[in-house]
Amino acid sequence: MARVRAQARAQGVQSEMRYRLRLAKLESAVFVSHLGTMRAFERAVRRARLPVAYTEGYHPHPKYSFATALGVGMTSEAEYVDIELIDRADSPVGSRAVLEAVGRELPPGLSVLAVAQVMEGSRTGLASGIRWASYRVEISLGMALAAAELLGQASFEIEIAGKGGKKTVDVRPMVRCAAPQGRALEFTIACGGRAHLRPGDFLSALGSIAGEKVRTDGFGVHRTGLFFEVESRLVAPEAHECTDLVIAAGL
Amino acid sequence: MTFPARYTGNELNAAVVDHDSARASILLAFPDVYEVGMSYIGFKILYSIVNSREGFIAERAFAPWPDMEEAMRTHGIPLYGLESLSEARRFDLIGFTLQYELSYSNVVNMLDLAGVPRLAAERRDGDPVIVAGGPCVANPEPVADFFDLFALGDGEELIVDIMETTARAKEDGVDRDQLVRRLAAIPGMYCPALGNAAVRRVVTDLDAAEYPEKFIVPFLDTVHDRVVLEVMRGCCRGCRFCQAGMIYRPVRERSLPVLCEQAERLVASTGYEEMGLLSLSTADYTGIQELARKLVQEYGPQGVAVSLPSLRVDSFSIALAREVEGARARRTGLTFAPEAGTQRMRDIINKGVTEEDLMSAAADAFRSGWEQIKLYFMIGLPYETDEDVIGIAELARKVLDLGRRIAGERGKAGRVRVNATVSSFVPKPHTPFQWHAQDSIEEILRKQQLLKEPTRVRGLSVSFHDVMQSHLEAAFARGDRSLGAVISKAVDLGCRFDGWVEHFRPDLWKQAFESQGLSPESFANRAYSFDEALPWDKVNMGVSKAFLRREAELAAQGITTEDCREGRCTGCGACFGDVRVRLQGEFGLAASPSDGEGAGTGAGTGGAV
Ligand code: SF4
Repeated sequence: MARVRAQARAQGVQSEMRYRLRLAKLESAVFVSHLGTMRAFERAVRRARLPVAYTEGYHPHPKYSFATALGVGMTSEAEYVDIELIDRADSPVGSRAVLEAVGRELPPGLSVLAVAQVMEGSRTGLASGIRWASYRVEISLGMALAAAELLGQASFEIEIAGKGGKKTVDVRPMVRCAAPQGRALEFTIACGGRAHLRPGDFLSALGSIAGEKVRTDGFGVHRTGLFFEVESRLVAPEAHECTDLVIAAGL
Repeated sequence: MTFPARYTGNELNAAVVDHDSARASILLAFPDVYEVGMSYIGFKILYSIVNSREGFIAERAFAPWPDMEEAMRTHGIPLYGLESLSEARRFDLIGFTLQYELSYSNVVNMLDLAGVPRLAAERRDGDPVIVAGGPCVANPEPVADFFDLFALGDGEELIVDIMETTARAKEDGVDRDQLVRRLAAIPGMYCPALGNAAVRRVVTDLDAAEYPEKFIVPFLDTVHDRVVLEVMRGCCRGCRFCQAGMIYRPVRERSLPVLCEQAERLVASTGYEEMGLLSLSTADYTGIQELARKLVQEYGPQGVAVSLPSLRVDSFSIALAREVEGARARRTGLTFAPEAGTQRMRDIINKGVTEEDLMSAAADAFRSGWEQIKLYFMIGLPYETDEDVIGIAELARKVLDLGRRIAGERGKAGRVRVNATVSSFVPKPHTPFQWHAQDSIEEILRKQQLLKEPTRVRGLSVSFHDVMQSHLEAAFARGDRSLGAVISKAVDLGCRFDGWVEHFRPDLWKQAFESQGLSPESFANRAYSFDEALPWDKVNMGVSKAFLRREAELAAQGITTEDCREGRCTGCGACFGDVRVRLQGEFGLAASPSDGEGAGTGAGTGGAV
């Protein structure tokens, strides 16, 4: 199998093509863990019978890359995954076919919002490239005022519980914006390996300013976007070094 | 709340049910957590058979973990079906799978949560009919108070009869009492209130038996989360302690073409990355090599791994495991089940494994690169002496030394590990050892102690099963109807999930027994004589009492009995009429397309190489 593949590659008939999928996780799947979501997705791809590229070796597994984990309890319209397909150079599978095939097979609670082809030569890895995440949550007026107050400060320190116990962290540089929209607050905070702020910690920071007790376990929080940072602008992963973008109908 | 996804349903391939148009409905209840219940193939088979028929619906319910139970009780949420979130009382039938005696407290607790009277005698019109199936119905008496009916044997055809009878009874407008009577008249149904004698149902031809076209794909990790192919049902090796080896006789194999078709359909409908070949002894399947090769060839490149959960102690099995599971198996280690430490003891239990078999299989394994071997043993077997117990340690050390020598040739002697898991023998109904008493708790502890010193060696480890759990398991396996009150009391005292060491409360069980003036010893540690009536005499699981008795007598003399599958019938009584040993090579002759079913197996996985 591996040899056949290598030959095909050498002859230029087949190549491995990276597709980027944007998924939504709905209310009915909020209890599904990140691991559970990944597995459900992999199984959907197998049911869809897409020509997935497998790692070589005795027990091949599909080549996937998932972006940042979503906490249990949150819904999302910005879950990203890159998959590699073995594509014929002359007749590629194409984003639309991927969108339809995976969309048909995803279990209840997950759906595909968009698919794009990552351009050959793109060096931005999905998981490693994410810098920011945006969320939406319903809040009180007091919390909205607290958000404005936090943004007005040059620094704002809070205690965050992590693996090695509690740490005092300046969260202000990790908050890019926070804008009330009706009864909801839409906010963009640091996400990824370099700097990461959990939405729950951000909300409890606001709670401490507003003097309100807030839910920090993720329920009610909706992720609206994940972003690369390109020349200090936010860019959605499907808009960066991608072509053939197809968006699901009804959006 | 731990793992909320246990309680939300809505998984891929879950059935969409409509109660309003249903002629009959059943809530399939599993008295353990979701992850355990969802791993049983019998449960999947019944679910699929019911839901694939117009007018019948089946939903699932599992035992809520204590945190969920508390939430349910605080908010007044009754037990419900995962498909439509309908409350349990709305169903015509609630069908429990009894896989394990230590789940009995969960059964009663689930009845409480369902709002159904615990005692069958107290149920009235409007209450669902409560039925049990699964291997534990081999002795229904300890839980007879709680069930209206017991369904014996293979479930594929029986479940259809149950649903149809229920639907007709509803259409005829008969009362609950009449419905129970009509159900009791179905062959294979035992009704404790009527005390009718009943014979288990058997599927004659596994190829004709219905098998699910799709499995529900859970969102959370279940114990066996994979495509499962039941390659055969039954085992005729005749190990005298093994209940599954008796009550699922005779051996019935599925043919290769049918299995390949099922594999294709299930991979396509689930997308699973693993496929397990299930049976009580998978290496005995006559087409195993061909089947395994085909599956590996077809699905390996698609990233689907094939696994062989229950193999034998021999070189053939090692070669097969090497071929099929390869590097993956070497990572997880191999499991052998010699069961006893001396040849004398293995002859008594009719475990057809010699020390040479074990050593040559182990040598093959070490040579093929395995470094970890797990050995399963039992202590407390009938006629066991201290030498037999110590023999376990000696055998384990021999395997370790062998591994060191072989791995030493490549400089890896230090990496070799041998783990011996030592469980306590539990005498089970419908086996040749059903008359035997279990060793007392003190005796088992003493025997465990005997093993500790001689196994204190680098690279060797021994683990024991909980003695109290085995003790209670024996009491419930061999007890009579008086145990119902004990179970009821234990549930009142707070007993739940007794099979989970972290929840098991032997102190509360002791209190429950005392409150009824009973003791577990009087059931677990009591020998029955050949002449007295046994509590489970009313249910006929296929194998005759005369055969069991002859086997018991042969055991006493250390004489073995051979496997009957190669043509020499040893007269166990399981075959009659169309029911006979069916091997896959003979297919094409036999297939009579009766309705299949197969709640049987499910006990098999996790077995041994
Ligand atoms: S009746 Fe004979 S052939 Fe049939 S299972 Fe028993 S021993 Fe084997």
